[in-house]
Amino acid sequence: MMLFSRVRGLPVMTPGDANRLGEVRGLTVDSAPWRVTSVRMARGRLRRGAVVPWSALRAAGPDMLIVRPAGGPEEVAAHHELIGSRVLTECGEERGTVLDAAFDPVTARIEAVLTTRGELPPGRLLGLGDHALVIRTGRAHHQA
Amino acid sequence: MNGLTGVRSLTTLPVVTLGGDALAHVRDTVFDTSAGRIASFTLTGRTLLSGPLPRDLPWPAVHCLGPHAVMVRDAGALCDLPPSRAHRDAVRGRLLGAQVLTDDGEAVGTVLDVLVESGTSGRLAAFRLAANRELVHGSRHRRHRVYVPRGEALRVTGRALVIPSHARTYVTDDLPAFVARVGERHARGREVAS
Repeated sequence: MMLFSRVRGLPVMTPGDANRLGEVRGLTVDSAPWRVTSVRMARGRLRRGAVVPWSALRAAGPDMLIVRPAGGPEEVAAHHELIGSRVLTECGEERGTVLDAAFDPVTARIEAVLTTRGELPPGRLLGLGDHALVIRTGRAHHQA
Repeated sequence: MNGLTGVRSLTTLPVVTLGGDALAHVRDTVFDTSAGRIASFTLTGRTLLSGPLPRDLPWPAVHCLGPHAVMVRDAGALCDLPPSRAHRDAVRGRLLGAQVLTDDGEAVGTVLDVLVESGTSGRLAAFRLAANRELVHGSRHRRHRVYVPRGEALRVTGRALVIPSHARTYVTDDLPAFVARVGERHARGREVAS
């Protein structure tokens, strides 16, 4: 299991020549199923954005991400930041903000989302957009 | 139980899809006064300088009305409508500022706010009035803001609204107490019906 907050700032390297491509700025997630689809990173001194699809990663370790040589950086795609987004139930009620999320580095599936009002399993998530992360209304979730 | 929300506080609420995208903000609430519930919302754009949108959100397309957002299923919920109709609807369905009369013809005040049930019903539950002295006795120098339940048969004629005279028994200036009393009354009504 890996945390979004731990991945941020890790170097992205190519294997063999150990060429440093840049460092991780954030992860893009996609719903249905909830998984990490790509890694956004900052390149060079001007910190230009680039996106590496998760499938182009050979390994994701605790200290660096290794990219397959063929899977070079691509252009920046549409992205909604999960960390820090507000949480809204499907009944239009605010439930704090997202603090962090845990995912499996092998399958890239999101395992849990940690909010200011407790932890959410991926089954409760409905959608992530530019305004909020929408969740299903559940009864047994009050952990705050 | 669903809470009550004043429609004045609905203005500026975001309209959010279940996918988490904000589509617009609520500008005005239009009532279907014959059915006693919300008919639609008129909308404004999302930025500070964007004016009214030529689209509206009909109530059947609303997934849930919450305290922090109006939830819709997807962006297809908004309907285009000609601006002339938007204006006409907004004027016709507006209740704020309307005069309130009892059915024995006594003017009791003007509407300051309309309380609707949040959730999926959109039912119009009560009014907040600036009360005349006929309704609330007391100091002339105090401004009286009271809650009155809507009658079972709500009638709106032009810019005036008629409530049954027995609704005066439920007048209060304290919202939580009011909600409890209206709940009691509904419960009693159900007992009588069954």
